[in-house]
Amino acid sequence: MENKQELVQRLKEQIIKQLKLEDKKPEDIGDHDPMFVEGLGLDSIDALELIVLLQQEYNIKLKSAEEGQDVFRSIDTMADYILEHEGK
Amino acid sequence: MYIQSAYAVSPQGSFNELLESSAQYRGDRLTCKEPDYSKYIDPKLIRRMSRIIKMGAAAAMECLQQANVSMPDVITTGTAYGCLADTDQFLTRMVEFKEELLSPTAFIQSTHNTVGAQIALMLKCHHYNNTYVHRGSSFEAALTDAIGLIGEGEAKTALVGGVDEIIEKSHAILSRFDLYKKDGDTANLIGDPGKGTMAGEGAAFFLLNSQREAGCLAKLEAFQNWYKPSVPVTTLVANFLKRHQVPAGSIDLLITGANGDARYNSLYEAVQQSVLSAVPAITYKQFCGEYPTSAAFALWMAAMIVSTGRVPGAAEPAAPKRVLVFNNYKQLYPSLYLLSAC
Repeated sequence: MENKQELVQRLKEQIIKQLKLEDKKPEDIGDHDPMFVEGLGLDSIDALELIVLLQQEYNIKLKSAEEGQDVFRSIDTMADYILEHEGK
Repeated sequence: MYIQSAYAVSPQGSFNELLESSAQYRGDRLTCKEPDYSKYIDPKLIRRMSRIIKMGAAAAMECLQQANVSMPDVITTGTAYGCLADTDQFLTRMVEFKEELLSPTAFIQSTHNTVGAQIALMLKCHHYNNTYVHRGSSFEAALTDAIGLIGEGEAKTALVGGVDEIIEKSHAILSRFDLYKKDGDTANLIGDPGKGTMAGEGAAFFLLNSQREAGCLAKLEAFQNWYKPSVPVTTLVANFLKRHQVPAGSIDLLITGANGDARYNSLYEAVQQSVLSAVPAITYKQFCGEYPTSAAFALWMAAMIVSTGRVPGAAEPAAPKRVLVFNNYKQLYPSLYLLSAC
């Protein structure tokens, strides 16, 4: 299994691609930056895209939509969630 | 009814470019020259938009800016194919991922009314908004609705558009029906003795106004369209002119939808050789290609011609004051637009 830093870097690349954030580079996204409203400025449709990304790339299904509020708070929280649930 | 402003995203960069040196294409299709979308659309919105949505939104925004109107009373849009790229992406993923893991963005934007809806979202416009999907009379249906609402006093201004795009898959499918020349050339498209035409695409929007305002491009004197008419097109044209009390001799220019497919020339020639035999005629599909809402491009071109007095392809300024557009998509959907200078 890759370490967290490698996962964070890969997540940033996948999010940029999935959400078509063409003006962003991985280094523009801080590990702890908020992903919604401030920070990356994502919205509810992006949240749905992130749920698809989790399922498609990591085979992880969120238990509920509410769970997403904590999981998608930042790249760091998303990486923690993946490390905790991947392969389960 | 007045056309206060108009703008087209098309295979031609602008009307001036069309006058000075029209873009030429070879092969079986023409492709839109796209503007700098950042002038019209918030970058946060652009990332999610497919090409047809960007083309339609940019055409609508430029049209509104030219008219100095920030909030139209009505938005109507006509499209035959809708948002093909998003539909393609959504359906492809359905197959590849066995109906799971579907992208919500492509699904949301795959509907035909996305262009009209996106324009309304950008304007925060909660007014009447309708999209018409009627194959070769989609734009005509959108225009009919807008004219009706303005005529009944329900609206003073209406933003009306016609949009359609080509994507690789749709073009490959349509090409199987023997619709397009394999080695077409827009420079010689019209009058080519062979069968087939060249595919096209575009997004054209118009700001209609019940009143004549400063800077108005043209007066839309009359408009009518049909589906599978039971009488010959020459009769349709003659009756149209008679109904609106327009002598053929008062028309300075005819713009026809002849598309270079020799199989269908006769219907246009019949009109040009009978009812409108003395009227100079030009064509427009060598500039935009053939597609179901191409009459929107023709209407834009006609409005620009009566506004500027200049005719693409004419060496000398002819300054036509009254122009008739006649298109007959697939010989099933004849439509007539009569415009005059404001």
